[in-house]
Formats: sequence, structure tokens, C-alpha cells
Amino acid sequence: MKQLTLRVLRFDPKNDDAPHFESYTIQVHEGARVLHALHAIHDDCDPTLTYRYCCGTGQCGSCAVRVNGEPVLACMEEARDGISVEPLEIPVIKDLAVDLLPYIEALPVICPETTATAQMPGKDLVETMKPLRSCIGCMACVSVCPALAVSDFGGPTVMRQEMRLTLDPRDTKDRESEAVTEGLFRCTSCQACWKVCPKEIQIPGKAIEKLRELAHYKGHSLPRHAEVAALIKETGRSVTWTAPSFLELTTEVMEPYGPVKKSVGFFVGCMYNLRLPKTALDAIEVLRRNGVRVIIPRDQICCGSPLIRTGQTEYVDTLKARNIAAFTALSIDTVVTMCAGCGSTLKHDYETPFKVMDFSELLTETGFGSPAHLGLNVTYHDPCHLARGQGITEQPRVILRKVADITEMPSICCGSGGGVRSGFPDEAAALGERRGEEIKKTGAEMVVTCCPFCEFHIAGHTDKPVQHLATLLLNGYKEKEKP
Amino acid sequence: MRSDEVVDCHVLVIGSGGAGVRAAIEADQYGDTVLVSKTIVGKGGCTTMAEGGYNAVLKELDSCEGHYEDTLRGGAYLNDPGLVRVLVDEAPDRMADLIRWGAVFDVDDCACVAQRPFGGQRFPRTCYAGDRTGHEMMTTLTERMADTEVETYQEVSIISLLEYEGRVSGAMGLDRNGEVMLFRSDSTVIATGGGTRVYDISTNSSSGTGDGYALGYRAGAEVIDMEQIQFHPTGAVYPYDARGRLVTEAVRGEGGLLKNKLGERFMTRYDPERMELSTRDVVSRSIATEILDGRGTEHGGVYLDVTHLPASQIESRLPVMLEQFLKFGVDIRVEPMEVAPTAHHIMGGLRIRPDCSTTLKGLFACGEVSGGVHGANRLGGNALAETQVFGKRAGETAGKAAVHGRSHDPAQVEGERNRLGKYFTGTSDPAAVWRQLKLSMWEGAGIFRTLPALQQTRSVIQHLQSLQLRAMTAENLVECCTVRNMLTTASLIVDSALLRPESRGAHVRKDIAQDWTMETSPFGHTFISRGCRGIGKVSR
Repeated sequence: MKQLTLRVLRFDPKNDDAPHFESYTIQVHEGARVLHALHAIHDDCDPTLTYRYCCGTGQCGSCAVRVNGEPVLACMEEARDGISVEPLEIPVIKDLAVDLLPYIEALPVICPETTATAQMPGKDLVETMKPLRSCIGCMACVSVCPALAVSDFGGPTVMRQEMRLTLDPRDTKDRESEAVTEGLFRCTSCQACWKVCPKEIQIPGKAIEKLRELAHYKGHSLPRHAEVAALIKETGRSVTWTAPSFLELTTEVMEPYGPVKKSVGFFVGCMYNLRLPKTALDAIEVLRRNGVRVIIPRDQICCGSPLIRTGQTEYVDTLKARNIAAFTALSIDTVVTMCAGCGSTLKHDYETPFKVMDFSELLTETGFGSPAHLGLNVTYHDPCHLARGQGITEQPRVILRKVADITEMPSICCGSGGGVRSGFPDEAAALGERRGEEIKKTGAEMVVTCCPFCEFHIAGHTDKPVQHLATLLLNGYKEKEKP
Repeated sequence: MRSDEVVDCHVLVIGSGGAGVRAAIEADQYGDTVLVSKTIVGKGGCTTMAEGGYNAVLKELDSCEGHYEDTLRGGAYLNDPGLVRVLVDEAPDRMADLIRWGAVFDVDDCACVAQRPFGGQRFPRTCYAGDRTGHEMMTTLTERMADTEVETYQEVSIISLLEYEGRVSGAMGLDRNGEVMLFRSDSTVIATGGGTRVYDISTNSSSGTGDGYALGYRAGAEVIDMEQIQFHPTGAVYPYDARGRLVTEAVRGEGGLLKNKLGERFMTRYDPERMELSTRDVVSRSIATEILDGRGTEHGGVYLDVTHLPASQIESRLPVMLEQFLKFGVDIRVEPMEVAPTAHHIMGGLRIRPDCSTTLKGLFACGEVSGGVHGANRLGGNALAETQVFGKRAGETAGKAAVHGRSHDPAQVEGERNRLGKYFTGTSDPAAVWRQLKLSMWEGAGIFRTLPALQQTRSVIQHLQSLQLRAMTAENLVECCTVRNMLTTASLIVDSALLRPESRGAHVRKDIAQDWTMETSPFGHTFISRGCRGIGKVSR
């Protein structure tokens, strides 16, 4: 047996004005899960603790709670000393038991022909449906979904179910249209849902984007999204020219100062090329100062992310082929991005003959010169497509700590992704405001991030300056050079 | 007296596993149907945890006669043959229902439902959805039920059956807050599942507390063969709190090998013909013997090894196993699992006729809570089939039953209220009572049994039954009722074990020598009802 102390958020709506943490010290067996710690509290300390569980083996989805803020199944997560246990961010019935029923009842159900024969779909379809079928209804995804919190989005698992039904030839309803009315285009593609899913169901990629594609071919695309698609098709870029572009301000090869330690290709992306070229130039400057030769193919165009995320996929293969050709023509084996969205798209939606790395990934891997510490207190906003899309959270912080102090805030979507900023400005603004509040809470003087969409959007919802990591790092170098 | 919430209906279904939901779907065609679930529908019960599969004869090369014979032989010929006939004949039709309703079973290249071999069967007839077959079925069934008029009451625990003018006329329950609810019905279907949580090491979910056996017995129904407890051969052995977690038979169906710590495939000693795919009673005893004889592993189990199988096969056919073991630090693709027997299923239960009527008027039963289908040992894959075959039958019979006018006896309800009230002044902690019960059951009523050990466990149960359980708040009342049900179920198991003077199927009396085989046994069902108990004699 071992002793653990944990904090549990207690709340009885009948008697309490607000939730409060209670601390418990209990004895549990080696290897005990959070569920067993809750049993120990209930049996040995306080039988009034309310929590839900059934199977105890990760198969029924009854016991999802937040441990240290992250949704987990209590029956599968190891109980550790000092953890906090809170209910999911779903209306609480009492203590850790939340009201799951409205979310379960919202799931669409199959409508087979009444005279249907008992025939299974073919093997390929079954294999495609199976991953979408393994949902255990724990609602961890619902708990973390930012779109659901501020809009009438049906939620991740409703979309999962709509996709499962769309695939099934036994179903008779128009699920794409149904999904659109349930807010199909309101998902910001932040990836939070599948990262907390105990069954690792890739709802954004395997359900929402696929449904958007099917909905698009049925004519359901939002007018604003269609405009972006038309612009990409016409110009190769998802935004319009307003000033000299990054590509116009650079040459194809940017040599480093001093010896060449590494040679990389640079994928600039539409936002940094046309809206924030100054930031991209800062990144090039940082790379040059760290011995990196930067090759910037002139023929590169939009990565296709705005099309893929919104389901308008007709032109995507052309974009992919042109981009890959642009880099391979120059025999580039490593391509660096500084836009989280482009990076995630190149890594996941492309099959590239070259390696793709984020700017922060490259610097931490090859090593970078120490900047001056600027004495700033900053907060770092994890871009969804970098943190969850590429699993990169530590590298930017490693760099950032050299140049500033970080006050952390929860990693939540700012609202700019997935075509939501253009499609549903109100929803994007509501999420931006929430982000602004979190930034305020940190007391930081500046917000640092690694994504142009986040940078642009957050800037509209905070009075603090928002900078790309590259810009801040460059400032650190410049400060160091001062006599 | 406070006014209770009263819900009237034609058919009341108690339980929300595979059998209960199937019964409700069927009953809905005949009149107002209410389903009461102790948990959230689709989450509780053992169907959703069932991994391996569903037995049904689907291929021309297979035959219902073969399924019938396998089931009887596997059950040590203690099964009720009429029930077995219904099971094997109707399992394919109920499988077809599931497919029509959207179930996503694994298929072969011709889009036919795939089938794998399971223990004790001459043909690979176990249909599956990876190793989450039961979950797939529950998802399908709850979707289907959502499309009916069935009214569900969730997280309401039934604590007693209502009796009126010699019939079961509904049930009394407690909601989440401990408030009394009355459900009055023309017909009541009990589909509350099993109860092996009365054992220290068990595969069952939180709802496997034997409520249905206790409810039925207290109302006067007859239970049979309650001594027949299936110990599944392969449960996890560590960490401590994960002991008993089911490791599906599909692992062996897919080719998993059992080895002792010396690396020997010890099944050669016990059943060289069927080896790992022998029946569960045989495999469990073999594993238990290896462990008792000192050939067990570090954690007190034996090895179950799939490392010789292609990783892709493990990933696609056993994804839940892979995920669960990875959570505990074991990658089954490259290292063996450690397993030991775990209390899994109660073969006995409420005596039913093929139409699912019990020995009480107005009461029907289906699924694990009923007895007779599986005899003295259940074949893997027959339980999921049973839920559907008998769930449908129970729903249909209950639905077609006459309208009786819905009434209850206020005196009975008042009596129950008084009983509940006493829990507030009780002195014994229900959690502590349960702990003592399950340890004693594992000790005295486990895989190998003797008269003194059974008697010792019986006296522990009697002592525990004499204690006055304590409820701190109204919300805790249901815990007291549940522990009371577990004590009743445990006493039925032990009393039945004492009634059967032979080793038969899963029931092994080490202290009795017998000169008959299962085919020539002079004994039939054990039976217990209030005031009447015994064992049937068979003239051979």
C-alpha cells in the first residue's frame, strides 16, 4: 500500500454556492488508478463523494474526469500523489458526476430501410467505419471543444457519428445536410477533441474534414470559404496582395553570416508572404545568424490548408504537386515552416520526399546562439496546429526561455482556425475574447506565438503586443549586440 | 407518507444491457414500455464490456445441431435442452436484426460476417467486432431503442419487485438522490445481468451485483443452478486493482498460447486435443492447478502469449487488449501477458421457460439473470447470443401478456420505506461488508470447493447478513440495498453449492469422489425458492 494526497473538486448544487477543492490523504495499492483513489476516498473518508463508473476497464466511458486539468478516464489513469481531480467541463450534477445525457441524446441514430435485408457493407467500408465506431461516449471531447462552448456547434462526437452514418450504405438520410445544420463548419480544427479521446478517434481529420468535403460537393460550402477557394485557384494564394510580398523582398538563396552549418528550404505560406512579410524576414535573419543557408523557391504557393480544412479539395492535388516540385527542383531535403498551419499540412496531408520541420524544431535540433534575456514577462500561446497538430510544445519554450520569462496559460484555441474566422466571425471573436481574458490573467506584457493566424486574431482581442517567436528571438540577438 | 413518483406502463424492463435493451425494443411494439437502468443506458452491465463474440450458425458447413451439441457438452449436460434449442435456432436471426440495425461486425472479403474459433466448439462460429463485440452490439441496440417510444429512466436502481394479487406488478426504485420511485406494469422483465462482483476477483462491471437474483428470490421466484459460477480462465493479475480484468478468449481464438513459468504448454497435460481452446471450466482448472503446483509466474498467473502472431493481427483483432495492457506497461506484441482465472459469469439464475416466463406470474427474465441455457459451463460467445435471443423473446411474451390494471400494495411500499429508514441508524459500513463478503466467497466458493470451506463461507455470509448496514445520506441508500443483494446472491450460490454433491462443469467438489460422468450423472438442476430447495434427480 502507498499513501497519496489528492485534491477533488466538490460541488453539491443543492447546498453549495460554488465548487471548492477538498484534499484527501488515502492508502491505495501500488499501480492504483484514479478510480481506485476515488473508491478509497468514498469508502474510507467521505461516502458522500459522488462519481460515476461502470466497467473499470476503459470500455464504457462513464468515469471521465479531469486530472490536473486534462480529461482522462479515471479507471485507466494512474493515481499519483498531488493530483487534482475535477469534473469534465460539462454541467455538473454533483461533485465529479456530470450531465452526460443531453450529449448522448444529441447523437444522431441510423435510419435503415424498414424492409432492409441483413447485409453487411463491404470490408473496406467496414474498416473505414470501425475507428469511428469505437467511441465510448465519455464526452471528454465535448469537455474540451472550444466551438461547442461558444456556439451552437453539435460537437465533436456528433460529427463523428454523422460521418459514420454517411459511410454506411444501410443509412437512408442526408447526413451531410444534417451535419451542416449541426454546425459542421463551426469546428476550428483545433484538434483538442482527438488528443483527449481515450480511443484516439481522429475526429477532425477522419470525420469533420471528410464531412465538409462531402458537404462541399453537395453545394454546402460557405460563401466566404468559396471566395477563398476561388482566390487560391486564381492566384495560388489564399489572401490578396496589399504590399510587397516576402518573396519579392528576398532572393532565392539567403546565405548565412559565416560558415554554412545547414542548408534548408523555406516554405513561407500565404500569411507570412503577403500579410506579415516582416515577421518572415525576422525568421530568415535568425536562421542566417545561426549558420543556416535558406533557399526560398520562387514557385511555392499556398499549401492548401484553407481548402483541406474547409473540404474544398478539388484543387488540392495541384497545389501539392506544384509545391513539392518547387522544392525538389532545388534538391532540398529539409523544408522549414514558420506557420503552424502550413507545417501541419505539409506533415500530414502531403507525402513529401523531403523532411518538414517547424522553425523552432530546426533551431532546437541544430542549436542556436544565445540571445540577450530581454527581461520581459511573456505568455506563450500554443498554436493548435503546432501543439496538437505537430506535437511541438517544448521547443518554442526552450527558445523563449532564453529571451524572456514565461507565464503559462491553458492551451486553448484562439478561434481563428478551420475557416471559422472567415465563416463565423462572431464565433471566432467570442473565442478570441476568451483568449484575451486568459492573457489578462497571466499579467504578461506580451504574447508570443508561432502562427500567423493566431498572431493576427489574438492581436484583435488583447491590448498586449503579439509577436512571433522569431521576432522576439531576433530582438534578443540585437539587444546582445548593443554596446 | 410522502407521495412517490409513480410511473405506469404495460411492460417494465429492469436492466439496460444487451438483454434488457433488446427486450424493450421488442416490447415497445405491444404497448407502453419503460426501461429502468441503474446506470446510463449503454454504459452499465457486462454486454458493453464483452469482447470476444457472438455465436451463430451462419455457414452451410456449420449446423444448428452442431451448435446445440457443443453447447450441451460444454454445459456438462446440465443445460435445459429446450432453452438450448431456442438459443441455437434463433441466434442467426437475432444477428440479422443487429446487422439490419446498423451493427458494424468484422466481415470477410465477401462482406459476410467473419467468424473465429472459440473454446469448446467444433466450428469457427463466433462473430465479432474486433475485441469490442459487446460494445458494438450495445451501440447498435441503444441507437435502435432511441428510435422507439421506449421511455428510459436512467440511474435509477430497482430495490424490490412490487407484488399485487399474486402477481408481480412492477418494481420500486431509488433515484440518484435516494428518492423512491414506483413503476407499475402489467408485465415486468428482469434483465439485470450477473453478479460475480460477490467475488474478490471478477470481470464484472459495477452493476454485476446480482440484484436480479435477489429481487426475484425475495419475490418468491425459483432460481436454479446458482452454484455454477464460470471462472474465466484469463483475467489480468496485476496491478492489484486491475486483478480480474477480462482478457478475452479471442486472444486464444486468434492463436494465443498458454505457458507456465517453465515455458511448457501445460494444456497438453489437461486437454491435449483441444488445448487452449478447451472449455472455460477445464482451462481455468488447468491454470489454477499450474499455479497451485508452483509453476505460476511472478505475479501469480501463467503466461498468455501472442508474440508469435503478426503485430497487424493483434492490432486489428485485439485492439482493446493491446490498449489496456499498454496502459499497464505491457506491449503484448512483444511480451506475454500474465493471466489467472477470474469470476466471470453465473450460469444459474431465475428458472425460465422458453418464452422467458419465470415461476412468478407477471415476471419474465432474460440474459445472465436467467438460468438453464448454459448448464454447468457456458461456451464463450453464447452469452451475447443469449442476450439477443432471449431478450427478444422476453420482450415479446411480456408485450403480448394481458393488461391487468396497474396497482400496488401500499403496505408493501411502506414496509420497504421502513426498511430503508433503518439504514440511517445502521452501524456497519457497506463497503467493509462487501470487502469481507468477496474475500470469503473467493476463499470458500471458488474454483475448487469442499464442504468445510463452503460452510465457513456460509457462516460468514450469515454473520454479514445479521449486521445493520449504514447509509450516511439518502444517496447512500442504494449502496446498502446493493450490498444486501450481493449477500443474498452469495448465499444462493453457496447454498446451491452445498446442494450439489458432485463435480459438474464449473462446480468442483474436491472432497467428493464420484463414479459417474457428466453424461451419466444422477443429478439435475439445483433449485431454491423461499421455503423450498433441493436438487433434481435424473433417471438414466
